[in-house]
Amino acid sequence: MTAPGSHRPRPQTHPASARNPASARNPASARNTDSARNPASEASDLAAQLGLVARGDGAAYDAVFEQVGPAVFGVVKRVIRDLAQSEEVTQEVLLEIWRNAAKFDATRGSATAWVMTLAHRRAVDRVRSVQKESDRERRTAAADIPYDEVVEAVESSLERERVRRCLNSLTEVQRESVTLAYYRGYTYGQVASLLGVPTGTVKTRMRDALIRLRDCLGVDQ
Amino acid sequence: MKAKTSNRDAHTLAGAYAMDAISAPDREQFERHLAGCEECAREIASLRETTAMLGTAAAEPLPAGLKERVMAAAAVTRQQPPPDQAEAEPEPEAGPNARRHQATAKWLRSLAWPNRLALGAAAAVAAAVVAIAVVFGVTNGSMQQQLDQAQASSQQIAVVLTAKDAHMMTGAVAGGGTATIVMSHARHALVFTAQGLRELPASRGYELWLIGPAGTRAVAMLPAGKGGMTGPVIASGLRQGDHLALTAEPAGGGTRPTAPMMLDIAL
Repeated sequence: MTAPGSHRPRPQTHPASARNPASARNPASARNTDSARNPASEASDLAAQLGLVARGDGAAYDAVFEQVGPAVFGVVKRVIRDLAQSEEVTQEVLLEIWRNAAKFDATRGSATAWVMTLAHRRAVDRVRSVQKESDRERRTAAADIPYDEVVEAVESSLERERVRRCLNSLTEVQRESVTLAYYRGYTYGQVASLLGVPTGTVKTRMRDALIRLRDCLGVDQ
Repeated sequence: MKAKTSNRDAHTLAGAYAMDAISAPDREQFERHLAGCEECAREIASLRETTAMLGTAAAEPLPAGLKERVMAAAAVTRQQPPPDQAEAEPEPEAGPNARRHQATAKWLRSLAWPNRLALGAAAAVAAAVVAIAVVFGVTNGSMQQQLDQAQASSQQIAVVLTAKDAHMMTGAVAGGGTATIVMSHARHALVFTAQGLRELPASRGYELWLIGPAGTRAVAMLPAGKGGMTGPVIASGLRQGDHLALTAEPAGGGTRPTAPMMLDIAL
């Protein structure tokens, strides 16, 4: 796939380890020496575990929970902010993984992407469903958002550092578009209003930004 | 949208779509476009992998008790069935094997359902037992003994946990601790458990109440906590409009609450 803004050759610094931040942190994953040595196999482990969950395997669900739970909670909380609501949505998402494990299709993407897509969409849905009531409130609040807050909040650890570094490699408008959209749950139209640029520009920036991030993070295509 | 530019317009939405930064009508439109554009689907897949990394970078420790609540809820939640391959298979072509394939598929279908149902029921009961174990911290043999003693009530508990309308609620207990209940109006019962209840002096004990249009009913004195876990206690005779309440009463218990409510959950 060729796209404006994509850099080739892509950096090849351990792309697999960047995709699996849990492998370095989670002592449970070190049980399996293979996966500790080769985090890529942990990603496929997650896919395999989901297959077992689809068959009603409680132990596999427990393992999946340990691996993705903190990431689900983290992203949901970033978007929703309110702790009680974040917990609620996190529970819904994790339960949905149990209910819909059979719908995961490994040919269409990684298990992590499936889980995180679900988590992010549920968080965004929640924010938008309550948005109508509090539209004015939000507009006021939005004016005070320090745009780099999320980037700052991404704490140090090798994987986070990598994401942070790649976010920082974007242009300012690209980075703002990504953080407002992904970490705040705004639509491209809302981002356009906040940044005072045409929607067409924001759409393009968002796509360019993600393509650059993808290449910087070494995501397989 | 003009036909000539539609492809390109839709394409520029890829980034917004991958970040869910898109309104519902836009999302639908883009998904229609995706269905017919393999290249776009590939791009979206790679962008989703990218946003997933933005997400995992935001990971933070789960709040206490969340896992237990989800595990307990999973135990009472039926899983969605996978897509039925037998139904999804295209009509077999006419050929030497066609008849055999059809017969095999039919045989598999006839076999699969009853087995799957039986398996589902067994799994549900097993899962309920696991949930009880998880929620109540059953991790060793001595608890097994207690479970055996409580066999009759664990039967009742399983009935509630596996009820179709079973659902879970939690509430903070004034003075410390969290109550988790799984209730079923269809079964007119609920299962009560608590974590981290403050220990009471020997002269007092926790008493559980159902309060509603049908009056105030004493449910039970809670057993002493073990390792911070209290219960499970089953409360039957649940009616519409009831609230669940908890008070600290004199050790013998009473028929009316005399102490302040420490928990009030509308059921």
